[in-house]
Amino acid sequence: MSEPSETLTFQFNGQPVTASVGDTIASALYRSGQRIFSRSFKYHRPRGLLCLSGKCPNCLMNVDGTPNVRTCTTRALAGMKVTHQNAYPSLENDFLSVVQRFDWLMPVGWYYKTMTNPRVWHAAEPFIRRIAGLGVAPSLDNVNGNYEHSYRHTEVAIVGGGPAGMASAIELATQGEQVALIDDQPALGGHLRYSRSPDTSPADLVARVRALPNIQVLQGRYCFGLYEGNLLGVVQPRKEPKDAERLIHLRAGRVVVATGAYESSLLFPNNDLVGIMLSTAVQRLIRLHGIAPGKVAVVIGRSPREESVVADLREAGIQVAATVAPESVVKALGRQCVTGVQTRDGQYACDLVVMCGHRIPDAGLLNQAGARLQWDARKGAFIPTDFPPSIRAVGEVTGESLIAAAILPPERDPASKRAFVCLCSDVSSQDLVNAIDEGFDHIETLKRYTTTTMGPCQGRMCQLPAIGVCARQTSRSMGDTGVTTSRPPNPGVTLGALAGARHHPTRRTPMHYEHDASGAVWLDMGEWKRPRYYQPQKGADEKFCVEAEYRAVRERVGLIDVSTLGKLDIKGRDVGNLLDKIYAGQLSDLRLGRVRYGVLCDEAGIMLDDGTVSRLADDHFFVTTTTGNLDFVNQWMKWWLVGTGWDVYITNVTSGLAAVNLAGPNAREVLTPLTDCDLSTTAFPYMACRTAQVAGIEAILMRIGFVGETGWEIHFPAEFGPDLWKALLDAGRRFDIRPFGIEAQRLLRLEKRHVIVAVDSDALTNPYEAGMSWAPKLDKEDFIGRAALHRLAGEQPRQKLAGFIMNEDILPEDGAAIMVDGQLAGRVTSVRFSPLKKKAIGLAWVPAEQAHEGAEVDVRVAGRLARARITEQAFYDPEGTRLRT
Amino acid sequence: MSFLVRCPQCGNRSVYEFRFGGEVKQRPGPGAPDLDWAHYTYTKVNEAGVQREWWFHRSGCRQWFQALRNTLTNEVQDSFFPEEST
Repeated sequence: MSEPSETLTFQFNGQPVTASVGDTIASALYRSGQRIFSRSFKYHRPRGLLCLSGKCPNCLMNVDGTPNVRTCTTRALAGMKVTHQNAYPSLENDFLSVVQRFDWLMPVGWYYKTMTNPRVWHAAEPFIRRIAGLGVAPSLDNVNGNYEHSYRHTEVAIVGGGPAGMASAIELATQGEQVALIDDQPALGGHLRYSRSPDTSPADLVARVRALPNIQVLQGRYCFGLYEGNLLGVVQPRKEPKDAERLIHLRAGRVVVATGAYESSLLFPNNDLVGIMLSTAVQRLIRLHGIAPGKVAVVIGRSPREESVVADLREAGIQVAATVAPESVVKALGRQCVTGVQTRDGQYACDLVVMCGHRIPDAGLLNQAGARLQWDARKGAFIPTDFPPSIRAVGEVTGESLIAAAILPPERDPASKRAFVCLCSDVSSQDLVNAIDEGFDHIETLKRYTTTTMGPCQGRMCQLPAIGVCARQTSRSMGDTGVTTSRPPNPGVTLGALAGARHHPTRRTPMHYEHDASGAVWLDMGEWKRPRYYQPQKGADEKFCVEAEYRAVRERVGLIDVSTLGKLDIKGRDVGNLLDKIYAGQLSDLRLGRVRYGVLCDEAGIMLDDGTVSRLADDHFFVTTTTGNLDFVNQWMKWWLVGTGWDVYITNVTSGLAAVNLAGPNAREVLTPLTDCDLSTTAFPYMACRTAQVAGIEAILMRIGFVGETGWEIHFPAEFGPDLWKALLDAGRRFDIRPFGIEAQRLLRLEKRHVIVAVDSDALTNPYEAGMSWAPKLDKEDFIGRAALHRLAGEQPRQKLAGFIMNEDILPEDGAAIMVDGQLAGRVTSVRFSPLKKKAIGLAWVPAEQAHEGAEVDVRVAGRLARARITEQAFYDPEGTRLRT
Repeated sequence: MSFLVRCPQCGNRSVYEFRFGGEVKQRPGPGAPDLDWAHYTYTKVNEAGVQREWWFHRSGCRQWFQALRNTLTNEVQDSFFPEEST
């Protein structure tokens, strides 16, 4: 027995608990006198330590805010705050334990039988959530600690640091292999650390492992899954509360599974009473923690295992009242803690029952890798076979040296309402029998109907007894009954560990801090930060600010940062061919110095993106994409280039270039003093582009007009972003220039009825429905989507994107329903209050029959219907004269 | 969690570095009947076995390539740039 040396203190339910260094939370609590560790999921029955190896659900507690922590495998650390779960007011006196008296109200599958109506479920849900459960999830802003991921590679990964795992590691490392040895215990040695095996000591093996430099030991880390390509999910728990919990992605050339065998419960009435423990748990308490878990014990088991357990108990000073065979147990006695065992031969008083339970090969990882499990009656276990080529198993997980612990399937009728098969969700053998009688007689349907094997223990305690009951009731063999599938994660993993560190990359435009200084209110667009609007004074009203920006653009001049646009610089002899192939319009005939609007469709004719295409030289084009679609368009172009042999070079210059749009009746006067470029309409007409210097900075100027005014989109090197931004604002001061944000831009374009792809269109929209029938050039011989668009052009669309104006003074929300004759007929995609029309205007999907000037539809606003009139023309400057002057 | 994809340029990498581009299909020529186009656009074979697929090495060399992947085991048997395969 180890002597407690140093001590530390943690809190349990607000009370200090002293622990020795090396204690788990559970062993320290047990030493302090705690016997009840949890209350069961459904009946709130008291549960105490059972497996002491992280395989059963009995010791789950909340540790520092994280629910469902296996306290029997979690090291006690100074200052930890541990609280119990699912019991009120305390574990010892739980009011809800009254629930078990009403078990007749909750037959197997009662969820499915009772909750047949959504209203019943909604009424019952809060109550059920309160009384049944597995602790409380932490709130998002109270997520406990940090999480991180790491990636590792090794030639061989060995899971399990017991004698077989260590021997395998030594053998492979001696052959020169690079080995990672993963062990979930605090020290190497496996069962040798606590079991009675005088002939072997782990010390010699451990010393040889430590002496080989090419063995890397991942101690105290547990493996929860084996995935394709020999990827092991390994969790490294915190050593100190301030540490990060780490998920290690360990990629191995080969995997050796040496996970051994674990012990699971025997089935008899009241088998869940506090003080009924598995033999390995008792051995761990005695040998690893120096705790004698009782005074008088009854041992349930068969020779020869029961003999060594008896010797262990005697050595620890525990009196053994009787040893009984599993088949002779009638029931355990006691209310909360066990007080005795009744057998067919008599009754024995005790305060500890030691079960020499079923030994089960821990073959979950092998099963996940594709191995089959085959029943072996002599060993009393399902043995893994048929391993994939790069996976091997060694030691007890292969079934070596296993002897059946009890007869399976059971000889007697196993049905009892208090013989618990599944401890996680309180499923008794009677429940299983009833479910089988109801027709759920296949092991997989039985699992889903009763939730056996689906709880936190993931079947480790219940799988074998459940198969036994199923086999007995259906008169099949264990092998024919079969096992349920093992899937990762097992054991459970925190969602935080899977999610990893909270990395939210942010992209800022080159003018970000200029916007900040001007009072920008930010909008997140993907990774980008964009000004939604500017507050000249802190706290200024959004509507007021947006309208002031709107008026500046319509009446004088405004400036918006459009650096987030995707920008592709495309060079080569065959760029025209590529653009003709992927855009619906014709672009190869674009003249030098001209800009054309392009729509990009997929083979089904669905609009994917839009943007401008400018020709800067015969073999040099400049293409813009929408902010979110840059990567997609870039990849799309490269994809269609494969195998063509075309001379095309695509460079993504999005981050390299800043971009602004200067727009408004005074835009020309603002820009003229800053450039030598002739900006007159004759020299620089609408939809033209030039390269020129602006304020001494080399730039591409495009005369386009998303917002409907005379304007230039200027692209220039990102490093000069703030300089040109300031230069333009300085030059515009005499016209009271205003920077404007996304909100004003959206309002301005809406008055022009300009569509934003993926805002007004969706994943089923083609250009004909969106009112862009001019975009596809079907006379081109071939382009992506031509066949589908050709067909669509000849059909009447069922719905169309139409402009509308509200009849009354009311503002619907984006996404509001469109109703025709009381029936749902469409939806609003964008709607804003138009200062020009003094009414709300917008775009909406309406049935094609309604999509004509003057038709009326209803819009759902604030719980009622309001009339709106469909308009075919733009609300502002429908002829586009302002753009062209 | 993930399997390995062999990029012909960068070697074996985690599948998370890639974008999947779907089955390799023969695009009908201009003027092919609508039925051929519908089949090409909407139908997937979804082979239970080895299938020829498009992959894009998004977090690496940013090249499209083709791979032969067993859809039952996610084992990538071979990968190549289509220009170099024929």
